[in-house]
Amino acid sequence: MKITFPHIGDAHLIGRIFFSEIGINIVTPRANTVKGLEKGSEISPDEICLPFKLMIANLIDAYHLGADTVVMPATLGPCRLGEYGELLKSILDCKGYRFQWILIDSPGAIGKKEFLSRLAYLVSESDKSMPVILWALARTYQIIKELENLDEKAHILAGHEKQRGECKKVLASCRRDLAKVTGVREALKNIRYHKSRLDGIEYDFKKRPIRLLLTGEIFSMIEPFANHRIEELLMDMGVSFKKRVTLGWWIRLTLFHPILPWKPLKSKNKYLPYSIGGYAKETVEEGVLCSKKGYDGVIQLFPVGCMPEIVSKAVFSKMMKEKGLSILTVIYDEMGGEAGYITRIEAFTDMLARRKRFEQNQERITFLKRIRGKVHVLSGH
Amino acid sequence: MKIGIPGGLLYCKYEPFIKTFFNEMGVDVEYSVKSNKEILDLGIRSCVDEACLPMKLFHGHTVKLQKTCDYTVTPRIMKCEFGESICPKFQGLPELVSGGTGKSNQIFTEPLYINNQRKLKKGLKKSCRLIGVSDRKMEKAFCSALENQRNTSFGLNERDYRYKVFLAGHPYNIYDSFANMNLLQKLHDLDVGVITEERVSRYEKTEALTGLIKRPYWLFFINNFAPAMVLIKRKEIDGIIYISSFCCGTDSVIIEMIKNRSKGFPFLVLKLDEQTGEAGYNTRIEAFREVLN
Repeated sequence: MKITFPHIGDAHLIGRIFFSEIGINIVTPRANTVKGLEKGSEISPDEICLPFKLMIANLIDAYHLGADTVVMPATLGPCRLGEYGELLKSILDCKGYRFQWILIDSPGAIGKKEFLSRLAYLVSESDKSMPVILWALARTYQIIKELENLDEKAHILAGHEKQRGECKKVLASCRRDLAKVTGVREALKNIRYHKSRLDGIEYDFKKRPIRLLLTGEIFSMIEPFANHRIEELLMDMGVSFKKRVTLGWWIRLTLFHPILPWKPLKSKNKYLPYSIGGYAKETVEEGVLCSKKGYDGVIQLFPVGCMPEIVSKAVFSKMMKEKGLSILTVIYDEMGGEAGYITRIEAFTDMLARRKRFEQNQERITFLKRIRGKVHVLSGH
Repeated sequence: MKIGIPGGLLYCKYEPFIKTFFNEMGVDVEYSVKSNKEILDLGIRSCVDEACLPMKLFHGHTVKLQKTCDYTVTPRIMKCEFGESICPKFQGLPELVSGGTGKSNQIFTEPLYINNQRKLKKGLKKSCRLIGVSDRKMEKAFCSALENQRNTSFGLNERDYRYKVFLAGHPYNIYDSFANMNLLQKLHDLDVGVITEERVSRYEKTEALTGLIKRPYWLFFINNFAPAMVLIKRKEIDGIIYISSFCCGTDSVIIEMIKNRSKGFPFLVLKLDEQTGEAGYNTRIEAFREVLN
């Protein structure tokens, strides 16, 4: 059994570390390319969303590299992700790529027992004992968390660095090294080393960069190819931003929450009070958070035709009117041209920066006026 | 107080229920007219650009009713009769409409689980209290409405024509003659009769779904994929016509699944969008008729 799974952000790095720790060989398809996307669009239906086209290309690539079992995440929501496994199987069978399929459904849909038995099947070829596997699993989650922390820190510090691009370099070198490490311990060490490197960079904390919140559909958020490397783009612009939707967030939301009922429940918001499948509700929550925590703006990303995010776009347009938020919606499709996206994001950040400068000026003027008033009182004039 | 009921989306499927329910309660109700060009234009102006044609029509109906009514009905259907879900846009319909039209006078926005009678009643009750209907009156209306809905039969099965095709698609596209540009009449003119999914029993549908690696959860997946398989197996039909709205999320999966499973069976996909030019549409239907020969 040779396991493979499509690219979702850093999943291939982390998956490789985990499976090599417990002694199972996995096949990692090559990174997403424009050529791969073209090949994927050829055999997938026209109107399906972008992640599907990338995933099918990944799986064909993995087949040529010798994989025979596919692990797919799935949900029971009305979003299309739940039917991905079915459709991928149907198309790949027609084209002669025969795989064995393991669908990792959320435990709420298939029951905890079935969920655990599928996971057990996944690691059935390992020669390690169960405690070792569980230990590796816990450590892998730690890697995900630490990597997430590193990312988050770098994204915020990117606005303050004296030499533009230093934080980006640290993140890139961290990922490069993670692709080479062999064990869990080494990976953790590597992440910690890069954290210390991040601390060593010179920062200017007097600078007040604009603060953005990045939100949207999960695949576009965590797969850099699908969002045309928007994180690097923002870091190059000297914007400090936050991204809550990550791989670890997804694991906490879909896997931990149903198994461990004491984990905190999802919060309610008045704009979209019910979960409507996909992560539309969570996206709207981020928008609410933006106005509460003093972010300057929100960028919403989603692939064209994403069903739940269309609803959240409509809700955002209402929130923009009511709360005065600044929200930019960027919709990605198969087009490779990046110039249009970059221009729009630049224009958006420029607008926010100008507004921020204006507000700061206004603050200074009122402050000076107040001081002057006080002086008058003191001198008795 | 006047309540407007938009005639878009699944209204065609639940018409008996809705009509009896509001009649029995004795509230002042205004039903919207059949879809037309004016409604479509209103809808395009107010709806999110990325939404599909039926959503835009629903927005159009709502905007038109908002002019004369105090409230408009915007149901939030979470689950259908057997626990299937429809599409995220149906579950977020009140938000979509209030975001698009800029007015928040929607009622009946509580989640409706049609697979659970108790929950369904509870969901409807809250809004009924809002419009001043007593619980007892509402419960009586609910019972008779439910009975009326159960006693009404839906679907078409036309036998007097030379050919017979399975007309697949969503009910709001099949039964809205404006949205599908009078498809049924056009087919009849070409001596083609249709059969719809309602005429395939639930038991047969469930049987046809075995062999999939996962139990499908979409209503329209079950209602289109399974009957297609059943009818092909029964050799009752000569072809399949699928009416789909442009950019429909669920259809992109369903159409591909039917195509892959039916292997070379005559299959025509008609895409509907805001354009109302009929020439290309007619040509494709006529060409398909030639294929059936």
